[in-house]
Amino acid sequence: MRNSSFAKRIQKELPVWVEQGWVKPDGHQAILNSLEPSDSHAGFLSYALSILGVLLFGSGVITWFAANWQEISKLTKLILLFGSLWGTYCTAGYLIAADRYRNIGQTILLLGVILFGANIMLIAQIYHIDSHYPNGIMLWALGGLLTAFVMRSQPAMVAAIILCTIWTGMENFDFGQKIHWWFLLFLLPGFCLVFQNRWRFAAHAAMIGLLFWCLAIFEPVEHIWPKVSVLYLVQFYFLFYLGAGILCNLLYDDKHKATISVVRNYSIFGAIAGFYLLTFPRFQSGVRWDGDPQRITASLPWVIITISMMTIVVGLSVWQWQRLSKTEDTRHILWGYIVICAVNIILMLNLFVSGLYGGLIAISLNLLFFACLVWMIIAGIKRYDRYLINIAFIFFALGLISRYFDTFWSLLNRSLFFMVGGLILVVGGFFLERQRRKITGEIVIQQKKEAV
Amino acid sequence: MKIFYRIAIILILQTLVLFFMIGMKQHTLNTGIPILLETQPVDPRSLFRGDYVRLNYTISEINLDQLAGDKDFQRRDPVFVLLKKSNKYWEPASVHKAYPETQPDTVIIKGEVEYLQSRLWNDETKVSEKANLLRIRYGIENYFVPEGKGMELERPQDGEIVEMVVAVDKSGNAGIKAVLVNGDVKYEETLL
Repeated sequence: MRNSSFAKRIQKELPVWVEQGWVKPDGHQAILNSLEPSDSHAGFLSYALSILGVLLFGSGVITWFAANWQEISKLTKLILLFGSLWGTYCTAGYLIAADRYRNIGQTILLLGVILFGANIMLIAQIYHIDSHYPNGIMLWALGGLLTAFVMRSQPAMVAAIILCTIWTGMENFDFGQKIHWWFLLFLLPGFCLVFQNRWRFAAHAAMIGLLFWCLAIFEPVEHIWPKVSVLYLVQFYFLFYLGAGILCNLLYDDKHKATISVVRNYSIFGAIAGFYLLTFPRFQSGVRWDGDPQRITASLPWVIITISMMTIVVGLSVWQWQRLSKTEDTRHILWGYIVICAVNIILMLNLFVSGLYGGLIAISLNLLFFACLVWMIIAGIKRYDRYLINIAFIFFALGLISRYFDTFWSLLNRSLFFMVGGLILVVGGFFLERQRRKITGEIVIQQKKEAV
Repeated sequence: MKIFYRIAIILILQTLVLFFMIGMKQHTLNTGIPILLETQPVDPRSLFRGDYVRLNYTISEINLDQLAGDKDFQRRDPVFVLLKKSNKYWEPASVHKAYPETQPDTVIIKGEVEYLQSRLWNDETKVSEKANLLRIRYGIENYFVPEGKGMELERPQDGEIVEMVVAVDKSGNAGIKAVLVNGDVKYEETLL
């Protein structure tokens, strides 16, 4: 509670406390200092507000141009467009060079990126350029990436990643016949910049973009390899994000912890979300709501891709084991590896069986899914990792609800189904939330004790 | 590197991209062969870019059964249409998947398959008949006009004819050069 009324009250009470001997005289000033508003918070607030201001201003400029466009001659339009772009970047450069206004300079750079996009759209309008429209967004994203790279600008990087995600969305959803690999080619230098500069917000944007792309390519993948592909793609995603999570643990250091922890958390989410999808019996058998199982066995490319990814995951796990076994109690990690091994065996088996065995595969994966969640909670407690515990509880609840729908939808009378389901949700939700709070609360207490 | 050198790099590269966009279009308009195309306009409005007219050309829909050339197209395939001048307008003579050999008095325009249509409603017989139609986009379907003027082109008055002069360059790229209403130039494209 760091607000002005609280500070004023303490300021008023402190002399009395000192007089009473409750607080030592030299502690008086230390307490007051601790109540001073933090510079970093104030800096962040002004930074956030100026970014918001730039976004509003940028939208205003675009709509002003759109509304008054016909009254301006072509030459004036071009002078306005190029003038505003050059003026904005020069102002940003000036502010960044005058070190005191660095943050404002960074937000003006973002305005430059927005204006570059406005220029692309408006020049396309002036000269009636009507080609493949996602290309305009791609050019805009590249302009943002250039600004981020040259000026080491996090706002420009976030803008570039958002634009790139919109670009891949357009390519996948509007022209989705082929996998849009270009997104990854764009994201790769983006990730390098994010790690190099330890940009936390940009790391969030990049991981959200990557997860979005993973979902967006479902349609083209299904178009290229019908009947089997999406299931094996999800298997691959599970392995990929699992590998990425382990790699993040291995690369974790104090210098890069801000970005690596973000990537690790999204990777854990990606892996567990992928695993959750694999527990659906209908997904495993390939049944589309009614009819016979349609899924056929995996084609050679899927076998190669999946086994390669499994090999990488195993390699990373061994590396992690070797590192951890020297420093800490690894019993709980061993149990985790056993669960992951069992999942890998089922996934490998799954490559060679058709949808006829989908039910059996789903049952095995469900058992392993819940075992994995229990292990995540134990690992979370052992390592004081609240994220691991929270995500495990969320997917525990999701898993229970999904299995209830799968199992009892056809067995129970509809009204009974909803009544029982509602009760399970209320009671189960209460129980799970209580357990989650209890465990995370204990972790906080333990962390405080250790800090003392 | 000094901040201003960095800013200069961004400005030069981003400006070059914008100049390249203008240059490509101007190259098509300046070097392309002008052809007259018949249009059947329809209209929406762009949120960011003001009024524009969506143009539907007679060459936008092609019946593959009636033309020479390739037959097996997929959605989003590139397509090259060989146009020949018929009395007044330029009309398709053949359709190809790759750039065909040029012939005298012909122009090759590049497009992209928007979709394929396998059945067509016959107004006379009131029966849906088998067809092999290609819907093609050439990148000349949108024309931006001053606010409020879109309807004039889109919903012409009785007897008014809207035609487009389109320039097609050697690679098949097309650009709108002029808009004609009843044969008179209503809008003409210039660099500045």
